[in-house]
Amino acid sequence: MRDSASQPVDSPEYPPELARLPPGRHGLPREFVAHNQRERLIAGLAEAVAENGYAGTTIAHITRHAAVSRRTFYEHFNSKDECFVAAYDTVMAELRRRVGEAFDQEDEWPQAIRAGIAAMLEFLTAEPHLARLSMVEALVAGPVVVERYDSAIQSLVPYFQAGREGRPEEILAGLSPTTEEALVGGMVSLISRRIFADRTEELESLLPDLVEFTLTPYLGSAEAAKVARG
Amino acid sequence: MGSNSTRRPLPGRQQLPREFIARHQRARIIAALAEETAEQGYRAVTVADIVRRAGIARNTFYENFSSKEECFLATQEFAMSTALERVVTAAGSFEKWPLRVRAGLAAFLGYVTEEPALARTCMVEALSAGPAAVRHYEESQQAFVSLFQLGRDVSPHGADLPETLEEALIGGVFWILYQRLTTSRPEEIPELLPELVEFALRPYLGVEAAGEVAAAESVEGVEGAPAG
Repeated sequence: MRDSASQPVDSPEYPPELARLPPGRHGLPREFVAHNQRERLIAGLAEAVAENGYAGTTIAHITRHAAVSRRTFYEHFNSKDECFVAAYDTVMAELRRRVGEAFDQEDEWPQAIRAGIAAMLEFLTAEPHLARLSMVEALVAGPVVVERYDSAIQSLVPYFQAGREGRPEEILAGLSPTTEEALVGGMVSLISRRIFADRTEELESLLPDLVEFTLTPYLGSAEAAKVARG
Repeated sequence: MGSNSTRRPLPGRQQLPREFIARHQRARIIAALAEETAEQGYRAVTVADIVRRAGIARNTFYENFSSKEECFLATQEFAMSTALERVVTAAGSFEKWPLRVRAGLAAFLGYVTEEPALARTCMVEALSAGPAAVRHYEESQQAFVSLFQLGRDVSPHGADLPETLEEALIGGVFWILYQRLTTSRPEEIPELLPELVEFALRPYLGVEAAGEVAAAESVEGVEGAPAG
C-alpha cells in the first residue's frame, strides 16, 4: 500500500511554498524535468480552489497563483479538470504515504490503526486547503475524480481487514464482509463533514472517537476504548 | 411514484382541480429529474432534458421551479420526507429498540431498492450538486441519529459510548449504499439488511446480541415483536 519510490518532500529545489506539497508521479524522468512548473500549477490550483471552489475556479486563477503563463499551463494540462486530477493524485499519494508510514511503525495492530488515523488527521489539519480539495471539492470535480475518490476510500479497507488476523472465532463470525467498508465510510463521513463545514480545526479531537469506533468490532468496546484513550 | 404520475383522469370526470394538476405536474418533474440525473449525472442534466422526460412544456417547468438547482433540492426534499416517513412508521410498530432499528433500516433499504433513480440522485449525485444539496444530504442522515441514539438507554455501557458514534454508524451505512448505487448493483441492497443491522447494533449491544437480531429470519417471532 505504500509507495516505496516516494521522494523527499522538502527537496531543496522546491520553492518554499511547495515544500508542503509532495512531488507528482514517480518513475517518469521526463516529468521530473518539468516538475517544478507542474508542482507550482498544482499548488496554484489548490489555492485557487480553496478561494473560489472548484466550479468557480478558472485557469486564470490557477496561473495567477502559480505565477506561470497560460501557455505553460497548457504545456502540462489540457484542462482545469486534468490539473485537478493531478492535484488530487498528489495529495492522496502524500496522505497514503504518511498513513502507511505511521501504520508500519507500530508492531501491534490496534496501535497501528491509531497511528494511521492520527497521521491522517494531522495532515488534514495542517493542510486545510488540501483537506478541502481532497474531501469536499473532489466530489464536484467530475466523474474521473469521483471514481478516484471512491477507490481512495476503499484503499483504506485492507488496514482494517488486517485486524481479523488471530481474532477468536466468535468475533470473526460476527464480522460480515462489508464491516471494513462500513467502518471506513463512517470514519470518512465524520471527517469530511467537518471539513465541509469549515471546522477542520476540530479534526484532531476526533481521534479517540474514530479509534474506538473502528476497533470495537475486533476488540470489543472496553478494549477499544482503552486504546482510543492512548 | 411511476404509476401514480402516469395515471389518467377518470373518464367522465369534469375537470381536475387545479391544485391536483399542479401537484401532479410537480411530481412528474421530480421523477423526470431523478431519472435523468441517475442516467447522466447531475452536471450533465439540462432543464430541456427534464422537460422532455416529463412530457411537459418548458413554461410548466418554470412555473414550478426557477432552476435545475431548485428542482434538485425539491427532489431531495421529496425523497427524504418519503423515506423518513417510512422509516418512522416501520420503526414505530415495534416496542424494543433493536427491532425498531432493524425495521427502520429494512424500510429504508426497501425504499432505496424501489426507487433506485431517486436514491442515486439523493445519495450519490447530491454530493456533487452544490453546498445546499450537500447540506440536505447531511440533514437526511439526522433522522437516523435519533433512532440510533435510543440505543444508549438500553446499552450496558451507553454512557461511555463516543459522542460521534451515531454519526459514524450512519455514515458507514450510507457509504455501503453509495457503493452499491454507484456500481449499479441496487438489486443487492435488500440482502445487506442483516449485516447493516449487525453493524449498527454491535456498539450498543455487543457481538452476540447484535448477531441474534441481525440473523433472525424476519422480525416476527423475535422477542419483542408485535403479536400476530
